[in-house]
Amino acid sequence: MAITLAHYLVASGLLFTIGIVGVITRRNALMILLAIELMLNAANLSFVAFSRALGHVTGQLFVFFIMIVAAAEVTVGLAIIIVMAKTRGATDADALRSLKW
Amino acid sequence: MSALPWSPMAVELWLAAVIAILIWYDLTAAADDKPKIAILAIAGLLPVFPLAFAHPERSGAFCSGMYLLDPLARGFKAFFALTAILVIAMTREFARHITRGIGELYLLILTATFGMMMLASAGDFLMLFIALEIITLSFYVMTTYLRTDEKSVEAGMKYLILGALSTGFLLYGISFLYGYTGSTNFAALREAIARSPTLPPWPLLGFLLIVAGIGFKVAAVPFHWWAPDVYEGAPTPVTAFLSVGSKAAGFVVLLRLLHGVFEPASGVWMGLLVWIAGVTILYGNLVAMAQMNMKRLLAYSSIGHAGYLLIGIAAASGLGAAAVTYYLGGYLFTNLAAFLVVIAVFNATGSDDLTAYAGLSKRAPVLAAAMFVALLSLAGVPPLAGFVGKFLLLMAAVHRGLLWLAAIGAAAVVISLYYYLLIVKRMFVDPPADPTPIPVSRPVRWGLYGCMAGILAMGIWQQPFLALAVASVRSLFS
Repeated sequence: MAITLAHYLVASGLLFTIGIVGVITRRNALMILLAIELMLNAANLSFVAFSRALGHVTGQLFVFFIMIVAAAEVTVGLAIIIVMAKTRGATDADALRSLKW
Repeated sequence: MSALPWSPMAVELWLAAVIAILIWYDLTAAADDKPKIAILAIAGLLPVFPLAFAHPERSGAFCSGMYLLDPLARGFKAFFALTAILVIAMTREFARHITRGIGELYLLILTATFGMMMLASAGDFLMLFIALEIITLSFYVMTTYLRTDEKSVEAGMKYLILGALSTGFLLYGISFLYGYTGSTNFAALREAIARSPTLPPWPLLGFLLIVAGIGFKVAAVPFHWWAPDVYEGAPTPVTAFLSVGSKAAGFVVLLRLLHGVFEPASGVWMGLLVWIAGVTILYGNLVAMAQMNMKRLLAYSSIGHAGYLLIGIAAASGLGAAAVTYYLGGYLFTNLAAFLVVIAVFNATGSDDLTAYAGLSKRAPVLAAAMFVALLSLAGVPPLAGFVGKFLLLMAAVHRGLLWLAAIGAAAVVISLYYYLLIVKRMFVDPPADPTPIPVSRPVRWGLYGCMAGILAMGIWQQPFLALAVASVRSLFS
């Protein structure tokens, strides 16, 4: 069976869904950040698949930028998680409760 | 002057140089000298105004369509520079609460401004994405800046998670549009969409994901949940910057995307936007009534204002776009004046609660008067800037036959007057808990005078500002 664009898109759709479900269900800030990374990678996969199907490189170029920005985002994210662990002694999203109406 | 070499990116190149110099200064200067970065940063932002409007004849698309220099981009570059200058002045007032790294905070304000200026000129989704990330990454750090304060850290964490989530939506949406049209360039996308204005399922899905991603940035219902928490927890100058700069950046993108790229498909999205606008206005204003914390109240009111601005987007007309820019201009002065007062009151009382505002007119008449004008302008009372902006937006809605949306907008003015006037009552009628006068420093005083002048000028002499707003959006519809 040949692997076509549709296969890649289904895989990327699954990745994206897993990412969203992870963000919603996971309670640990680190795991939520990981789930978001999955969503970004779903976008990467579909960019590369489209890029190959269309036969030009714009999409692949885009992926490089996404990877760089995602790395920067994780750096900042981990720093914030460390600060959170220091102030609260926990990286649990449930601990984020002091702000609400 | 014309003999000098000139780049279409003059503003960004200049700002990048300023940032580089200030990073070096921050690394080498003695600790006592670091607060001077504020003055240097403001001085560095001033040349943006002439640079942004230089060579009006050399407008157009540059760098193979990546970078647009049109009146919209030029106008918003000046808008963001003005916002940044006022926010830096605010940060100087707030600096006593920041124990470490005040220099970097000013630098982050500049990098966020840099991102906003790039965003105003984005002509390609790649550029849009990177500019947007420059802004949000700076904001993640700024929001968490009070590292020992639980609220600030919590706000930063929430902003990070929801901001990164919205980036995921945005990127996934862009990938579908790219797959459908084979391009990420706005001009090429517009042509492709004009060929099939009913939007087949794939680009429609991409479009919805992109709107969700931008909806997060402007805090439109149902993507608004981060806003109240982040606005309350973040250091107050950062909240002010978020509510004006970040929101305006989101609306520049919406103007470019919906009134530019997706304009041929306006039949598809107009109904959706009308709903989002109506619900956002009602939600923001109704929940604001129940708030007891000033920053949180302003957060909900800013959600309501995002709803008003969305009316102009939903109207999908030149009048709507001009009304959005006019409203944003008035909103800049109004909201920054309100947050300046919040900072001054917080410095004196250590509290952002509404109770801290009791008897403010006796403790600091300038602050109370400025807050009074700002609140009335936010509510939309003539002859202030907020009134003209709201009037234009509602007029755009009526022109498009969106009568019930205009009715919701008008009804929400009454709701908002209720809770804004309750604050006014606290300030002017209630007795102060502690009658000692609040000292008002000279920068705060002058900042407030400047904002008052802006609010009144945009409310009374509408003509030049309206001409400016119309001129800035004209290129979108050519």
